[in-house]
Amino acid sequence: MADDVSTIITSIKDIASNILEKDIATVRGFSERQLEAIAKQTVIIQKGIANGDIDEDLREFFLDGLEAMALNFINTLKGILIVTLEKLWNALVNFLYKAVGVVV
Amino acid sequence: MRQYFLKKYLPIQILLASLLFLSCEATLAPAYDQAIVEKVTVNSELAMRFFAEVDGGTTNESFAEREPVYNILIGAFESLKLQVKARPVPENVALEKINELLQAKGSNAISGEYPSAFAFEKIAETFKKMKQTDRENGIKPLALQAFKGQVEIFLDQAITYESFLKR
Repeated sequence: MADDVSTIITSIKDIASNILEKDIATVRGFSERQLEAIAKQTVIIQKGIANGDIDEDLREFFLDGLEAMALNFINTLKGILIVTLEKLWNALVNFLYKAVGVVV
Repeated sequence: MRQYFLKKYLPIQILLASLLFLSCEATLAPAYDQAIVEKVTVNSELAMRFFAEVDGGTTNESFAEREPVYNILIGAFESLKLQVKARPVPENVALEKINELLQAKGSNAISGEYPSAFAFEKIAETFKKMKQTDRENGIKPLALQAFKGQVEIFLDQAITYESFLKR
């Protein structure tokens, strides 16, 4: 039994690692792109306000936009995490069902 | 000895029993939709071409030439928002259990509010504001760059999320 259990644990760890490694790479790339783009956007708005290209009305619009994009950046990460959770869950269920000889 | 194994592996047995009890594969996020991804690709190309054409700023004298493009872009991204929102989040036992756990921890439950729908809505709003500014005063160079940056950031969020749904 001890051998069976350790084999199951190792298999579960492998399944989880494979899914997580791939998804974390996607998340890292997305986060880096977004943070850089949001930082650049902030600088453009600052410069635009300073030289008068962005007036009072547009200033409010772009500041609201910055807030919305930061909020949705987090919500996109949450959305990606939910998909990863789903993949992990289903891979685990499939594996465990197979381990006990049940066809899903 | 039997007692030892029962005690040591109890959590695994509970997990196994729970999964068997729930007896299901979970669907926590909406289905991937190739049509949405293709439509986003086409309209993001159209948006980027438009930004390239007006690069450097605009004057309101020539607004009439650009008005049809604004209308196409606003319509396309509003329609994408509706298309994305129309997909239901499937309900199942696993999702209910996860939502119960999330709510118990003080987090929001998984719902049908998709980040891509929010992004498309904001892109449509950005083109509406851009159109209004262009019609009234023309758009100055840094304001144009800010409009473009805003559209690009929301596009990246929407495309990343929608592509990630292909599991």
